[in-house]
Amino acid sequence: MLRSARQQQQAIATKRSWNLVVFSVGGLTLAARTEDVGGVTPWGEGISVPSRTPFVASLLKRDKEILPVYDLASRLHRKLRGDARLCLVARHPDGPMAIGIDPDIPTLHTLEATEIRPSRREDVNTLGSFENDGKDIDIVALRQLGKD
Amino acid sequence: MSLRGHYRASSSTDRTVSFLIVRYGTRYFALPSDGVRGVLTREEAGNGQTVVRVGKTYHEIDLAQLLSTTLDRGSVDLRTVLFANGDSCGAIRVDEVIGLVDADRDQCRPLPPHFQHEERTWIAGMILFQDKLALILNPEWALGELGEVVTAAPRVESSSGIAEPAGSDRPC
Repeated sequence: MLRSARQQQQAIATKRSWNLVVFSVGGLTLAARTEDVGGVTPWGEGISVPSRTPFVASLLKRDKEILPVYDLASRLHRKLRGDARLCLVARHPDGPMAIGIDPDIPTLHTLEATEIRPSRREDVNTLGSFENDGKDIDIVALRQLGKD
Repeated sequence: MSLRGHYRASSSTDRTVSFLIVRYGTRYFALPSDGVRGVLTREEAGNGQTVVRVGKTYHEIDLAQLLSTTLDRGSVDLRTVLFANGDSCGAIRVDEVIGLVDADRDQCRPLPPHFQHEERTWIAGMILFQDKLALILNPEWALGELGEVVTAAPRVESSSGIAEPAGSDRPC
């Protein structure tokens, strides 16, 4: 479920500045805390898995590493742009998790905590949002994916 | 027919388990080899819904549908795997039989904990062989004993959902 505005404000208040990775999913610009991101790599070899877990229905093989894939694009009702998707590795309490993102290279942003405000997004848990070039960018709570 | 290959995924000899690796499209699956009763060519298996071998009747199991994929009936490597588990058995058509793989038990990895629902019963784990990833299938599920069928779901990219229970006509 969504975090309350009060919870978001508390989370925001605990940090003076935030380091964020900004990326896009199906053209939608999103952000995540750098400490929640294990890296960004080319996509690997995927294998679908019969699954009833919402948005977790495939595995990604990268060399000897096998990661579960969280289909954030489907959750957001988006379709990834282009064929050369990238893999954003989320640091998740259950272990690292691959998320397919658009092929645009993610960028790093540093924000003052005061720039972060509660998000209005309701389809995925967020830690807040901020404005960049006139656009609202939601900060996805990667550690909570699949826990809501 | 004889199997095409017999691979070892490790040099260790103790605590090994053996799997028959099969392929649908670009996806690989591992069936516990102790349940394999035979591998037949298209000509040997025929086109019927059942295969009779050594006095046993094996009804066709649509494993491809269970796995939300399709059987490539035009595959020149198409094979029928006669598979049994306890009192249940079935004839499973696959695009190709890759061969037998012996692996140490510790090479068999569980599904990541991110998979939280019934699939943990359907899929016993994962194994790497020849740099490929194969899902280890639970024989009971593969034979429809768990009474559940997974079919493609109306999702944007990938997909899984549930349909009606598997057929119960499985005399052996």
